[in-house]
Amino acid sequence: MSTLGSRLLRTTIIGKDTPIHKLDPRTKFLYFFWISLLGYIFYDFVLTFIFLVVNLLLAVVGKVVRRILLTILVIIVPWIAIAAPILSLPLGFPWNETIIYRINLFGMELPVYQEGLGWAITWPLRIAVTISAALLFMLTTKLGEIIALFFKLRLPFRALYMIAAALQFIPLLADEVGTIYQAQLSRGLKTKASIVRRVFNFLALGIPLTLSAISKVQIRAIALESRGFSAPVEKTLMYELRFKSVDYVFFAAIIFFTGVLAYIYITMGYSPIVRLRYLFG
Amino acid sequence: MAQRKVVPTGAKILAVVMVPMVAALNYVGGVLVELTKAPIWGDTWATILGTLISGFWVGAVGGFLYNIIMALTVWGLPAWVWGTANVLIAIITWFFIKMGWTDLKKPITIVMAVIFYGLLYPIYTTGLSIALFGGGPLWKPIPAAIYAATLASTGNFWLANYVQAISTEIPDKVISFVIALIIASRVPRRFVLGMRREEEVVAGGS
Repeated sequence: MSTLGSRLLRTTIIGKDTPIHKLDPRTKFLYFFWISLLGYIFYDFVLTFIFLVVNLLLAVVGKVVRRILLTILVIIVPWIAIAAPILSLPLGFPWNETIIYRINLFGMELPVYQEGLGWAITWPLRIAVTISAALLFMLTTKLGEIIALFFKLRLPFRALYMIAAALQFIPLLADEVGTIYQAQLSRGLKTKASIVRRVFNFLALGIPLTLSAISKVQIRAIALESRGFSAPVEKTLMYELRFKSVDYVFFAAIIFFTGVLAYIYITMGYSPIVRLRYLFG
Repeated sequence: MAQRKVVPTGAKILAVVMVPMVAALNYVGGVLVELTKAPIWGDTWATILGTLISGFWVGAVGGFLYNIIMALTVWGLPAWVWGTANVLIAIITWFFIKMGWTDLKKPITIVMAVIFYGLLYPIYTTGLSIALFGGGPLWKPIPAAIYAATLASTGNFWLANYVQAISTEIPDKVISFVIALIIASRVPRRFVLGMRREEEVVAGGS
């Protein structure tokens, strides 16, 4: 996951001119928060799948669907494929009660339980909803806009700097790893090696990377001080955020669907379509 | 004359820049793992390293920041809670520094690393994993097989999650700890923020 995350952040924003890109970052952040919360309020894999489809449709509009779909396929599909047989077959999942199907496996007739199968599909789909919402936000929002968003959310200035700097450092360090790796290869670094050797290889890259990073920290600290980072003056931003008509349309849709889903929750419960029993409730 | 307890501005600025660097190094750990195929996740070694060379707060905030950025950008909103796990890693590392369990020549360092990072830390992460991600098998074959075997033999959902967690955490965290210790030992003394602070305090006080 970490590897995948690094790969994704190295590419940062996909610069396109779509209605999703034009949305105010506050609107996108609200949507990200709202849909992630909805994924957790309902315990119903059909409804959760609908939330995922909504995210993917917005990703189509934002022209970032390929990246999001790939991430979902890499993480969620193997997860469901592994979890479904372990939890839905009689392998000890303690909440299994309701048999929904019987399969014949190696001459044995095995029951398939609704509780285990429901779990094995719903939880990965919940995570798929949150991941796709996060990626939709990240891939369509510029770093400056993200910083402006957190500034509006009244985050302390030092915390703001830390977030911005971390997002800047990632591609810089990732490029540096490439350079160090090439240098070590030319010095005879063996990539096909035993587990112990691989740990040493990590050190061969990690030590120069860390020393270089610490050196960058020193230079940045001097640069910050020379620009009066600690000076007790009012800080300003490069981006000025302003809501547009498309943002108000989005807000109206969120309010409308919140009402609809609240009605469904009150009248039909947390699993309105599949009728699953909540296991940890 | 008594030494004044002051933290110089230079050290404060360095800490402010070091925190995002710790977060970024945790991130790039994934790239290092990808290149070297080292048997770790690669996303906590910089938290340990940051604590070792720059103190508890830099390690803890850097580790927490890494998870916040991951939650807001890639992993999704609920993943921010893993930041608290990274703070726990920094607490354990700080405790190890205080106890003197940071010398790889002493066997107790590895024994305690296995106990604290490998056996006690997963109690917390197992709880988080079940509460926010439902628990269940990971999508990697070996931990999933360990999970299935434990669940089938005991029928205990909580135990299966814990055994799965320690099967990944013992190698990951202990190796990450050893890597961080070795790298920290190679960092020149003038770059170690804790020492720099002490020297500046002494200079300010004299």
